[in-house]
Amino acid sequence: MSQRKVPITRLNKFFSGEDFGLDISMGQEWLHGDMNFSFVLYRVDKQRTKKDDVYGEVVSEGIQYHPPVELKGYLQIEAPENKFMGNSRIDQVEPGNLKVGIYQDYLDQMGVDIEFGDYIGYYEKEDKVRYYSVVDDGRITSDNRHTYGGYKPFYRSITASPVTNDEFNGI
Amino acid sequence: MALPKKIKKTIDLIPNKTGYERREQLLEYIQEDGTYLPKSILHADLDRGMLDFVKNDLQTILDGKVIPTVDIIITTQNWAQFTETWNFQDLDKNVKPPFVTTVRRPEVPYGSNPSLQYTIPNRKQFYYAKVPTWDGQRKGVDIYKIPQPIPVDITYEVKIFVNRMRGLNEFNKNVLQKFSSRQAYTNIKGHYIPIILNNISDESVLDLDKRKYYIQNYEFQMLGFLMDEEEFELVPGVSRALTLYEVSNKTKARKANIQPPRPNEFDLDIQFLNGNTSVHERFSYMVDLNLTSTNNVDDFSVYINDDYVGDNVTKLQINTNDLIRFEIVKDVPSNDSIIKWEATLQ
Repeated sequence: MSQRKVPITRLNKFFSGEDFGLDISMGQEWLHGDMNFSFVLYRVDKQRTKKDDVYGEVVSEGIQYHPPVELKGYLQIEAPENKFMGNSRIDQVEPGNLKVGIYQDYLDQMGVDIEFGDYIGYYEKEDKVRYYSVVDDGRITSDNRHTYGGYKPFYRSITASPVTNDEFNGI
Repeated sequence: MALPKKIKKTIDLIPNKTGYERREQLLEYIQEDGTYLPKSILHADLDRGMLDFVKNDLQTILDGKVIPTVDIIITTQNWAQFTETWNFQDLDKNVKPPFVTTVRRPEVPYGSNPSLQYTIPNRKQFYYAKVPTWDGQRKGVDIYKIPQPIPVDITYEVKIFVNRMRGLNEFNKNVLQKFSSRQAYTNIKGHYIPIILNNISDESVLDLDKRKYYIQNYEFQMLGFLMDEEEFELVPGVSRALTLYEVSNKTKARKANIQPPRPNEFDLDIQFLNGNTSVHERFSYMVDLNLTSTNNVDDFSVYINDDYVGDNVTKLQINTNDLIRFEIVKDVPSNDSIIKWEATLQ
C-alpha cells in the first residue's frame, strides 16, 4: 500500500470523513452491541505448518494455528443443498456456506486478518459447533457494494464452506 | 529405496499347490458344500464379487489407515439409509473422504467374452458330470447336465473420494499394479471371472465456493456369465443290480452221498452158461451168503481156496481174498443154470 496519503474529497458537499466515521461507529454499535454475532477465527500459521514438498498439501496432523480469536460480524448461513457428490450417485445434504460481513476497521483494531484456508468456528448451539474453511477472504473491496455510497470501502465479505471434522475439529 | 525384485516381501507359510494337485484344489472349490454341480451365478453374485475385489484386492492404505470401502453397490435407494450405521460419517451423517465406492451401471448387455459367444442355440443341455448313486439296492449313476452359461458384461465405476493428492496416487498405483496386464481375476463362488480396466477419469469437485475434494473414476468391465441353477438338469444314467449271498464261514466237511447207493445186502447171482459147469470168484470183502434159489441145477459143490466145503450148502461165510469155486451138475446140460444167493456184507 502506498505511503503517500491523498485526501478523499468526493461527495464533500454533503458527506465528509467525520460523517463516514460516525456512520461506521454507529453501524458497529448496532452490529457488535445489538446483534452480537460472534465466531471464532482459527488462523493457520503458514510458517509452522508442515507441508508436502511436491504437492504443498498439509501432511496429516500437520496444520499449526495461531491462537484463536473471537470476532464479531454479520453472519449469514446459506440453506443446505441436496446433491450428488460429483458425478457419483452418492447424494447427500451439504450444509450451506457461511458468509460473514465484517468491518475492516474492526479487523484493524483487533490486529488480525482473515485469509484463504483459515478456519471459522460458529456455535449454532451451546454444544454444537460447525467449522468452515475460508474460500473467499474478501480482500478486494474496490467494488461499489463495499463502499459507503462510493465514498470509501469499509467492510469485507468473507465466504467459508463447511468442512468435515476429519479436516478440522477445533484445536 | 525399493527392494530388489529377487527379495520376497512375504513368505507363504503354506506352499502353493501346482500341477495336478492344483487342479484337484480347483475342483474342490467348485464342488464344495457337497454338490457336484457348479455354483449358480447371478447378477447379485457378480456384484458381490466385485465389491470383494475392490475391498480386498484394491485395498489402499493412507497415513497408516485403510481407506474405507462402501460395501454395497450404490443404487437409487436413499443413500442416507445406509450411511447412518457407518463409522466414516461426519457431523451431518454424510460420508467423509477418504473412501472408495462402487457404482454399477444398471444395464447389463450380452457379454463380449470370446469363449462364450453365440455358439450353442436353444439352451441345449450339456454333460457336466457323472455322479455315482446308491439307493441301498442298486448302484448307478446320475448324469448332471447344464446349459451353456450366458456371457454378460457389467460395467462398474469405482470412485475414490479423497482430500489429498497422495491418496489418489496410492490408489492409482494399486489399480495399475493389479491391472498391469490389462485384466485381473476375481473368484466368485469358485469361478474365476476376468475384470478389465477400461478407463480412468477425473471428476473432482473444484468449485471455488464449495468444499473441494478429489474424485477419480475407474471404469471396470467384468466379463462375467450367468448360470442359473434352475436350468440344471439331472437325469438317471445306467443302474446295475447287485445280488448278495450269505454263506456260512464254517469249515466242517459235508458227508458225501455215494452214487449209486451201496446197500449192505444185495443179491448175488452165480450164472453158468451153456456148457459151463464150474465158476470161480475171488471176493475182496467179507460177506455171508444165503441160498435163495437155484435154476437148472441138480446139485452143486462148493470149494473155498480149493478146500471142499460141501454140497448143496445153503450158507457160506466168505472172508476177504477167499477164492470160491462152484461146480454143478445141470438138470439139462444144454441150458444155462443159475444159483441165487443173498449176500450180507460183514
